[in-house]
Amino acid sequence: MSWLFGGNSKKEQQPEQKPEVQEQAFSFDSTSAQDVSSFLSTPMDTSRLHPLAGLNDTLEYLNIDDEALTDLQGAQGLIPSRGWTDDLCYGSGGAYLTGLGLGGSYGFIEGIKAIPSGAPTKIRINTVLNHITKRGPFLGNSAGVLALGYNLVNSLIGYQRGKHDAANSVAAGAITGALFKATKGTKPMFIASGLMASAAGAWSLIKELL
Amino acid sequence: MADHSRDPCPIVILSDFGGAFAMGTVGGSVWHGIKGFRNSPLGERRTGALSAIKARAPVVGGNFGAWGGLFSTFDCMVKGVRRKEDPWNGIIAGFFTGGALAVRGGMKATRNGAITCACLLAVFEGVGIVFSRMMAAQQQPVAPQLPDAPLSA
Repeated sequence: MSWLFGGNSKKEQQPEQKPEVQEQAFSFDSTSAQDVSSFLSTPMDTSRLHPLAGLNDTLEYLNIDDEALTDLQGAQGLIPSRGWTDDLCYGSGGAYLTGLGLGGSYGFIEGIKAIPSGAPTKIRINTVLNHITKRGPFLGNSAGVLALGYNLVNSLIGYQRGKHDAANSVAAGAITGALFKATKGTKPMFIASGLMASAAGAWSLIKELL
Repeated sequence: MADHSRDPCPIVILSDFGGAFAMGTVGGSVWHGIKGFRNSPLGERRTGALSAIKARAPVVGGNFGAWGGLFSTFDCMVKGVRRKEDPWNGIIAGFFTGGALAVRGGMKATRNGAITCACLLAVFEGVGIVFSRMMAAQQQPVAPQLPDAPLSA
């Protein structure tokens, strides 16, 4: 995100790691050699002169940078994360599925109650399915959008502060909740903000306990 | 070489679901923002765009997410059964996904949806193969220039 917000000073804190110079030891050790015949007699292994000696074509190069886990303080959650995109995907996916499940169960119960008496099986099944698809996706969509906003804001705050903690979560929840109900007026905005902040706080507490 | 940028199978469903949902929501916001803006009378264009986004962007996201999540689930199932990693995985998963999404429309709709989705995925896989061939042709290893005379010791 440095293209959007400019560079961050925290990068300067990490000194560049210089590769250590490793001295290559061959079979000849000059300090131990007393005369010419002593090192001429040791059999010379030419394959040790090559830097890739001993590695055949089963060598597989991995691009480490793409899959390195995030080293931001406090960012280690339930699932190993490679950065904010992982948090975003897992967060909104989990929230959507949870909302879908909860709403779907509610719709299922509602649909079971709403079955007209004496209806044929096809009508019964369709009644229940209609109620599930009415409630499930609605709750899932709301939960998914909330999680999307929360994770975006949370990652942004964490990136700016250089660490993740419970205060970040609560702040991100408050901002997201306020944005979610921003068009409904001031009072619903504050209610939603408070609800989301407490939900985020509870979530960071649960994450701490697990 | 194995693809190391994707997570292992059961958990990747969650990631795919969320990624598809996020993509759909963002894309739906842009789409329905423009549509709501254009379809509103002058003077109410901003409110029209905003209410269109609020009403429809999550639905687009949900539809994208359902597709992506189902596809990923079926992809993992096919991988688990076949124990293989090839373009047919995607095509079979697409077949099941298309069928599952159209299952409430009856047998005929299920069949048509499954076949359409499998064909679509076959085209995607084909395009992917063509692109990776083109990329591979561009990045062929080049033999280093050998010196004419061997180095004298």
